[in-house]
Amino acid sequence: MRNPLSAVEIPVVDRFLGDGYVRNVVVMTFGSLALLALFGALFPESVAGDLSGAVFTGGMVAATARISAPIVLAALGGIFAEKSGVINIGLEGLLIISAFTSIYVAYVLGDAGILTGGNAQFVGFFAGVLASVLLAFVFGVVCIEYKADQIIAGLAVWLIALGLAPFLSTVFFGSVNTPGVGNIGWQYSAALVAVGTVVAWWTLDHTAFGTHLKAAGENPRALDTVGVSVSKIRHAGVILSGVFAGAGGSLLALGVGRFGGSGETMVQGKGFIAIVVYLFGNYNPLGALGAGTLFASLDALQTRLQQLGYGIPSSLVETIPYVVVIIVLAFVGRTRIPSAAGDHYETEE
Amino acid sequence: MSRSRPGAVRARIESLLRRFAGISGIDRVLIAFAALGLSVLVGFFIVLGSGRVAECSTAAWTMPITGLGFCYDPFEVFFVLFNGALGGPFYVWEPGILNPEWLPITLPWLGFMPGWSPFNNAFALTMSETTLLVFTGLSVAVAFRAGLFNIGTQGQLVVGALLTALVVVALAPLFPANRVGGVILIAIGVLAGAVGGGLWGAIPGALKAYADANEVITTIMLNFIAANVAYVLVLEVFRAEGSSVVATADVPEYAQIGPWLFPPTGDFAEAALLIGLVSLVGLYLFLEHTSLGYDLRVSGIQPLAAEYSGVNAKLTTVRAMTLSGALGGIGGSIWVLMSEGRWVESIPDLGFDGITVSILAGNNPLGVLPAAALFGVLKGGALQVGFQTDVPPELVGVLRGLIILFVAMPEFFRLIGKRLVPDEPEATRGGDGKDGDGVGGTAAVDDGGEASA
Amino acid sequence: MNPAVHLDGITKRFPGVVANDDVDLAVERGSVHALLGENGAGKTTLMNVLYGLYRPTEGRVVIDGEPRSFDSPRDAINAGVGMIHQHFMLVEPMRIWENVVLGNEPTEWYGLRVDEDAAREAVRELSARYGFDVDPDARVEDVSVGVQQRVEILKALYRGADILILDEPTAVLTPQEVEDLYDVFEELTDQGKTIIFISHKLSEATHAADEITVLRNGKNVGTVDTDDVTSEQLAEMMVGREVLMERSAATEPPGDVVLDVEGLVAEDDRGVEVVSGVSAQVREGEVFGIAGVDGNGQSQLIESITGLRTPTAGTVSFHGEDLDDVSRRERIDRGMAYIPEDRQARGLVMEYDLTQNAVLGSQHDDEFTDGPRLDWDRAASHAESVIKQYDVRPPDRDATAESFSGGNQQKFIVGREFERDPDLVVATHPTRGVDIGSTEFIHDRLTELRSEGKAVLLVSSKLDEVQALSDRLAVMHDGEFTGVVDPTTVTEEQLGLLMAGETLDDDTVDHVGVGDDGRPTETAADEEVSA
Repeated sequence: MRNPLSAVEIPVVDRFLGDGYVRNVVVMTFGSLALLALFGALFPESVAGDLSGAVFTGGMVAATARISAPIVLAALGGIFAEKSGVINIGLEGLLIISAFTSIYVAYVLGDAGILTGGNAQFVGFFAGVLASVLLAFVFGVVCIEYKADQIIAGLAVWLIALGLAPFLSTVFFGSVNTPGVGNIGWQYSAALVAVGTVVAWWTLDHTAFGTHLKAAGENPRALDTVGVSVSKIRHAGVILSGVFAGAGGSLLALGVGRFGGSGETMVQGKGFIAIVVYLFGNYNPLGALGAGTLFASLDALQTRLQQLGYGIPSSLVETIPYVVVIIVLAFVGRTRIPSAAGDHYETEE
Repeated sequence: MSRSRPGAVRARIESLLRRFAGISGIDRVLIAFAALGLSVLVGFFIVLGSGRVAECSTAAWTMPITGLGFCYDPFEVFFVLFNGALGGPFYVWEPGILNPEWLPITLPWLGFMPGWSPFNNAFALTMSETTLLVFTGLSVAVAFRAGLFNIGTQGQLVVGALLTALVVVALAPLFPANRVGGVILIAIGVLAGAVGGGLWGAIPGALKAYADANEVITTIMLNFIAANVAYVLVLEVFRAEGSSVVATADVPEYAQIGPWLFPPTGDFAEAALLIGLVSLVGLYLFLEHTSLGYDLRVSGIQPLAAEYSGVNAKLTTVRAMTLSGALGGIGGSIWVLMSEGRWVESIPDLGFDGITVSILAGNNPLGVLPAAALFGVLKGGALQVGFQTDVPPELVGVLRGLIILFVAMPEFFRLIGKRLVPDEPEATRGGDGKDGDGVGGTAAVDDGGEASA
Repeated sequence: MNPAVHLDGITKRFPGVVANDDVDLAVERGSVHALLGENGAGKTTLMNVLYGLYRPTEGRVVIDGEPRSFDSPRDAINAGVGMIHQHFMLVEPMRIWENVVLGNEPTEWYGLRVDEDAAREAVRELSARYGFDVDPDARVEDVSVGVQQRVEILKALYRGADILILDEPTAVLTPQEVEDLYDVFEELTDQGKTIIFISHKLSEATHAADEITVLRNGKNVGTVDTDDVTSEQLAEMMVGREVLMERSAATEPPGDVVLDVEGLVAEDDRGVEVVSGVSAQVREGEVFGIAGVDGNGQSQLIESITGLRTPTAGTVSFHGEDLDDVSRRERIDRGMAYIPEDRQARGLVMEYDLTQNAVLGSQHDDEFTDGPRLDWDRAASHAESVIKQYDVRPPDRDATAESFSGGNQQKFIVGREFERDPDLVVATHPTRGVDIGSTEFIHDRLTELRSEGKAVLLVSSKLDEVQALSDRLAVMHDGEFTGVVDPTTVTEEQLGLLMAGETLDDDTVDHVGVGDDGRPTETAADEEVSA
């Protein structure tokens, strides 16, 4: 693939994005936004003008941050799991369970008068992360200790959460939808996405643990023979996927202020989009941030366009990211999956 | 001579038993049952736990010895689940079955309800779900056997259903409005569904074969696309006049697949199940007893060996996905022609449930029927749980997830089995076997297939 | 002084197999010790015990006079034992320095950052001390196999290894790289390191080692001083009897050209050209052998011929017809039998029984089908006959392929392919991992096929095998034939030179081509032969 973007040199950014593929994703995302701003400024009366007017409003930024939080954070989690050799297709389930738990805990604390408002939400956030970590841990044990097929076990995680969250919601609140607990500002989402991305990037690229994680996914025997336990590293990878996805799910629900459990729940496939996002970003946290922001802004844009009265059916606009994914997957880039991802590893004896 | 005979006989029996135990099919059935049992057990505790925290005025069940009261009766839930799925052939006692207060006296009363008939609406719902799951289960299974994870059966079903509804409605005026015309329309409708689903399935197949795009991702994406595009098409173009929901016009009554014995309100037709069974046996024969089926299986289990044996890998991938999509599409046809009578936006998750059915069946077509029946029972029973108990019927969703989780970990049951039967000779695998394929370890769920039998 | 390593009565049992049976082994500090034996003699298992990967069933490991019990390689590493495996334990997409320090990374900022500069410096320093020439920042996947091996050695040295175990270190190296490796051995022992290397090649052991221990069937047959032993004695120790490779010359002159390869160019999976313009002809009633160190393009050449790989240039003709657009299946149908290099990945479906494996490659053949239907009864009787004729044990066609030993798997494949009644047999490493009795049987069958007028293309890394069986012998190096020689007259030294990529002067060896009458003629190998 000859991408004209790869010829462009961007001094500072390139130091962080050694990978050509990743920088394409990032550059494309922010480049297209910049182009839109430029056209909008030059021709305020055109569709571009309308679009940029729609995009560069506070509402859009807030909406993009809110939508990107579950997608980007779950994608970061997915990177940790898959880099270590465990394909976690159950990210969707982790988002669902953390979204529900965060609201439930915040509600119960508030209802009982133990904590109120922001404090209850704060505790709820961590409760959501904890729930996600627990589910991820179970998934890890099933995959690593009991050698379950990772894809099937991941689907099971999704299905369990998809059943459990509405079930518990009905048990506690009499409806699959929870009552509201008040929502938190979008700034939290934006901040955590930024911090999460940097932490993930640093961990993977600059710590010994990150090296071990990558080795566990590429050539577990190499790691094993130097005396590092592959299963411990993989457990850590899976648990980290629980931490990140849990943060994403909690932010999603707390951003809205309630949990919606009908149909595919309020998560609505964001966990699957997250998988696409990290593949898109070639397992690089910064790439995942770029791709995730792109998807989130598309999603936010279509909502905004509706408000502006463009007669495009929302379902059709929603389809755009999915079509883009297929086109990119088929015709543009090839991501290199870690060699040992999906394989069980057994130490000798 | 005579002295050694008992020993020889014993050795024969032992080797026979060992062979028997080695048959992966038997293993799989045992694991499926163990998974089911374990799921019910875990579900039991979930009901118990949530029954403790839920609020109610009177306890539905009181735990013996401890005297703790629970809002939900876990025994009752599972009883209602299975009893309800069959339309309630068994008595239900108040305040709950297996209540210590009545247990010794009322046990002899266990028997069929007077006036119960198998041809009731609740059982029809169970059978209807079973029928539809046979198709989606087969759809996922055939792809699996070719080493492909088709998560896109749902989308293929949506497309097949839409095409069926549109084609039948459009062609209806061309045929006489009688039984003959109806049968012809049904045949055309099913064909349209197969074509629609097949084409939709061929897309990820071709993308996989010729552009190396991971089918798990593309099929997930195509599900979203199918759902959204079909919705918009019906909303903007094909919406029936005056319909309050987004739906196409109704398929004429005579072009719907109607029941023979079940009540017409039950949305189940025996003929549809028959089509399902024919597909099931046909798929089994195709996989196990034809050259093309052999090609497909070898591609799935060991792609390099398939290539060596002259199988065109790309073509086989496209073929398998097309066949898989066609089966999903037929599932959509049956849903339109048997259940709904039209295409409606609220399509159930039959495609996703097909994945669970196929996994439970070990991707063996013959296993699809019992697996589909189990999930049919869960579906039919869930409704009754909602009617007859306070337990949220979403419980069934949890059970479904648990079953899949446990089925996914055969090693767990093997370890337990080893602990229970420590003397069993350990099956040693030759050398450190190559983990030949890169399909995410799907070999673990692939059936070896016994053909020489 | 205590020996650096003393293995005392090591026995290692696996379910159903005794891999090591009461093995004693002592290695002096600063010496090179060769562990010699055939495949499956238990060499690797023994070394895995020393390296802590396996725990011995019985016996003990003594390092520097101190009994040790290793639960994991980490314990072995701490005791100064390092191992370089046959398949390198390197993370290919990572840099050399990352691989060297893997698991022992120097860190700074309270462990929050790998100290890259320190790591790089350490690698550079070690590399300089032992005269290795490696760039710490290169990615492992980009460097040659020889360099990768040094990275492995660096890894062990970085961890403070005093005792280095190398498992078949020369298997993947070119002769020049092998020489370099011997120099490395010298450098290391000069600085007090102890080296144990595993090999199944006599010449290597006598060349590089101070002492040699021979293992056979898991037992120590004897430890000898390299200076006191002849190759013949060692060979006898290895196989337990005298090895005689009898040549059976073709009685009939070869017939028409069956396979004609012209200027074939092929790439490997990574897109690197590994076959660069190979031409060869194989005639009826002739065995054409290809010798060479593994990984010099033989695999890609063979795959291009059998239809598993699309060549980037050149032609392959079969019975005079260009095979360019002919699928693998069509090639099988036209009479091309193929014993693949990797029997467990390609030649057999491991989870299927032998009946199902018997039709692998002929699943569309009329012999086993009625229309679309596969007739499993016919497949079963075919499996039965292959099992009987080729002495596959246990003779159970309902057992899965994975339950058979490597040798029996190979016999089944060989039988299945030979019984296709092919015009051309492409046999790659047909006796790899097969016991001696079966090897002889397979050799006899190959010779028989030749007498029946079949064309045979034989690839083997066993020199004696290709030499004994071939009528003409090509030596492949770096994607090219460095020579096509008469196996009856060529010497081992000459073959060694050819395998190393040298060409021979015309008067030192008889180059053979095939004349118009089909008889071997003494012409230059690379000369075009007009048919």
